[in-house]
Amino acid sequence: MTARLFTPDRREMLAITGGALLLPVALEGAAQAATATASIAAATGGRGQPFDNGWRFQRGAGDGLEATSLDDSTWRKVDLPHDWSIEDVPGGVAPNQRGPFDKKAIGGKDTGFTLGGEGWYRKHFRLDGIAADASVEVLFDGIYGECQVWLNGKEVGSHLHGYAPFAVDLTPALNRAGDNVLAIRVRNLGKNSRWYSGSGLYRQVKLDIIPAGTRLARWGVAAWTRTLDNGAAEIDVSTELTAVTPGLALVTRLRDSAGRAVAEVSAPASALVKQTLKLRGPKLWSGANPNLYSLETELRRGDQVIDRMAQPFGIRVITMDAKSGMHVNGTRVVLRGGCIHHDNGLLGACAYPQADDRKVRLLKARGYNAIRSSHNPMSSSLLDACDRHGILVMNEAFDMWHVGKNPEDYATHFASDWQVPLTAMVRSSRNRACVFLWSIGNEIPGRATPEGTEWGWKLANAVRRIDPTRPVTAALNGLLGPLYKAGAETARPGHAGEVDNAAAMFLDVAGYNYRLDDIEPDEAQHKDRLVVATETFPTDAWGYQDLARRAPYALGEFLWTAMDYLGEAGISAVENVSENNKMPFPFVGWPWVVSWCGDLDLIGDQKVPSLYRDAVWGKSKLEMAVQRPIPAGKRETYSNWGWHDELPSWTWAGNEGKDMTLRLYTPGDRVDLHRNGVKMATKRLTTGDKMRAELVVPYQPGVLEAVAYSGNTEIGRRKLETAGAPASLRLRAESKRLKSGRQALGFVSVDVLDSSGRVVPEADVKLTLALSGAAQLAAFGSANPLAVGSFQASTARSFRGRALAILRGTGRAGLVKLAVSSEGLAPASLTLAAG
Amino acid sequence: MDAPLYPPSSAYIAPERVAEPLTTASASFNDFIANPPALAILLEEVPELKMMMNTSMLKPHLGNMGPRTLIAFGGGHPERLDKVDARLKALGLMMGTKP
Repeated sequence: MTARLFTPDRREMLAITGGALLLPVALEGAAQAATATASIAAATGGRGQPFDNGWRFQRGAGDGLEATSLDDSTWRKVDLPHDWSIEDVPGGVAPNQRGPFDKKAIGGKDTGFTLGGEGWYRKHFRLDGIAADASVEVLFDGIYGECQVWLNGKEVGSHLHGYAPFAVDLTPALNRAGDNVLAIRVRNLGKNSRWYSGSGLYRQVKLDIIPAGTRLARWGVAAWTRTLDNGAAEIDVSTELTAVTPGLALVTRLRDSAGRAVAEVSAPASALVKQTLKLRGPKLWSGANPNLYSLETELRRGDQVIDRMAQPFGIRVITMDAKSGMHVNGTRVVLRGGCIHHDNGLLGACAYPQADDRKVRLLKARGYNAIRSSHNPMSSSLLDACDRHGILVMNEAFDMWHVGKNPEDYATHFASDWQVPLTAMVRSSRNRACVFLWSIGNEIPGRATPEGTEWGWKLANAVRRIDPTRPVTAALNGLLGPLYKAGAETARPGHAGEVDNAAAMFLDVAGYNYRLDDIEPDEAQHKDRLVVATETFPTDAWGYQDLARRAPYALGEFLWTAMDYLGEAGISAVENVSENNKMPFPFVGWPWVVSWCGDLDLIGDQKVPSLYRDAVWGKSKLEMAVQRPIPAGKRETYSNWGWHDELPSWTWAGNEGKDMTLRLYTPGDRVDLHRNGVKMATKRLTTGDKMRAELVVPYQPGVLEAVAYSGNTEIGRRKLETAGAPASLRLRAESKRLKSGRQALGFVSVDVLDSSGRVVPEADVKLTLALSGAAQLAAFGSANPLAVGSFQASTARSFRGRALAILRGTGRAGLVKLAVSSEGLAPASLTLAAG
Repeated sequence: MDAPLYPPSSAYIAPERVAEPLTTASASFNDFIANPPALAILLEEVPELKMMMNTSMLKPHLGNMGPRTLIAFGGGHPERLDKVDARLKALGLMMGTKP
């Protein structure tokens, strides 16, 4: 959905539509870095050398901080990824400043009341021993927001887009025989985002040491599986070279997961080399079997390798048409997608590879087969994870074009800069098996005007000129615009003279936001239109599944959202209001900081909408949840992104004897309900129930058990037990070993248990961590959608009986000891191995 | 099995607008604003839209949103919009044409 000031955001749209417009809007540590001057292992040279460790950071504005002579020894040491917006507000004072949250933050609820501002990074390094004529480039996977880059006091680059990768050539200012100082000013100023952006060098940074003369162009390799036939694959590879000199050869090769070369071709080097790899018996990439090869590109002079790249590559063919739907390697796939923003919850925007990997694993475990990177290009580490786990990706470029959604957002640069991030997104990720669809924008204001229509054409065709192997979409809210006909020069090839809507006519797939009921009527008017539901409401899960069964042109859905995110605070808040209150939904502000619309919460646990989705997507035969009692005279309100305030809990002290509303989610046609061994009710379901049923049962502590049937066959059983008072704590590590390196993470859940070992569903207790050994605390907190405190302190409160500690490697091997305590509860501890 | 291609088109020549009736389903708020007789009918039947369309929140988005698109968000009045459409049809109003 869209944003404030210039455009309404989700809640404002609901306010407008619900007639609530006149109502007042209730708005309201650092890691230990490596040593100072790092020497890159330059003797080996090459691309992709880690450059994340050993930075210095200062939060705050300044001039001249790029000077080589500046003494930065008092600056804080940081290792990347780093996001200063998730750090505690400097000098923050409760109650209006809590942890990273500030009630007066300029971004307000949009950015989750977090702060931007200006920050400076400096890094000292040496490149002893590199070739005298070698080039050196630094590759940033993304910096938020606008930045300038200096090397040894000389400005060498700048960048405007907060999410696109970019490289800066350091060669002109490089000191090859001594210390180098790289300085970066990052400015996240004004009101520039509709969600939590984070601030700083929040993604990976790498250094490329590149030979002089002929070289592989940046992101110059374009490979795609052209055909799969008779157990063989043909892969076309185009490779761009720069400064080509005679006598060189370009070798392109595929290695399988065991490192064996399974296909190789060689050709004389030229500015553009086109080759075809042929491979018998390829192991195909798909959601079920995400087989990956390594695509190697070598520039050689005889036996000498001059330049080299390697990247993951999956062999797959994806087709889509209105009559048969979407197929991956010939197998029908209905998109069960989720929109996500880029933050990693308690870690802020920091794109740790393991955090990105965890997010993808959690979603895949819930049945998701696709992610939409709303509304910006995805990090390379998240793309890596999607490649590895077989998750399809809609990679999205923009949240606005020429008309802004916030006064200082990217629209202020769009007209002059748009090609930079768009080109970088497509070129850098066009060989990813996971990327199957490019999105040129989300809910773009002004898209259906003559100017907007031309922008749509420019963007779609700019993408196709770089990568004609994937379709282009855009997420379209509301109307698709007036009807037009385009001539042969302008229309999509094969579509000249067709009548289509302005916003859809240049798209290969029309993206529909929240328009389930419009898809079929629209198809009657626009035959063979492919549609993907780019944003959907959680209650429509069954509807989209049902639609895909009868309408292959509807490729599937992307839920808004698969996981809670920071910012757009409280769009799914639930409140009980007076029955005569006409407010259609809660209009919350501070201290809400989290969206609360995710299937999964901020620390990765399932919320009730996810339980319903489990039933719809076949992950579960029966789930149940109990409505939190609504006080007499009140009614429950929440937006379409929200859900009832219900919990999978039968712990409702104080409600003994009162009727409780129980909701059951099942593909079955009957559910029997037992309380403390006594059958209380039977509920029959029909197709029209969309796998949801409701029962009312008086509360009595004990055991509530439901049994689902299909015909006379039991298909599922679910039990809720009344928990007692908090008695003890439990720590559970998701992995027993913490990997080596400063970017390694370990995730440890903290549970509050009763005396029988049951999680206490609404336990809210103060937790204190004690950590020692070869790890540091990266983050600690809960899924609480309100600003309750720091994410970086060793104390936090549990929320609904749970919390999450995220540990970070120190770069040393050894044991890690973690203990958690809370007053009056039995503590817990565990030991992990690191390195 | 051959992989599909999505080649670019060659040049942008402004597409030709196709005549279509002006309805509450096809027209954005901007389309209504550009057609005063249609706007008058709309505001007669759904007067609260006047206030909504003049808010700083919705104003810049009037090109993407129309009376019926609000329904998905819990707003709108289908039965009153049906009346609007009947009256617009009787007048034979078309999208993109000056009244």
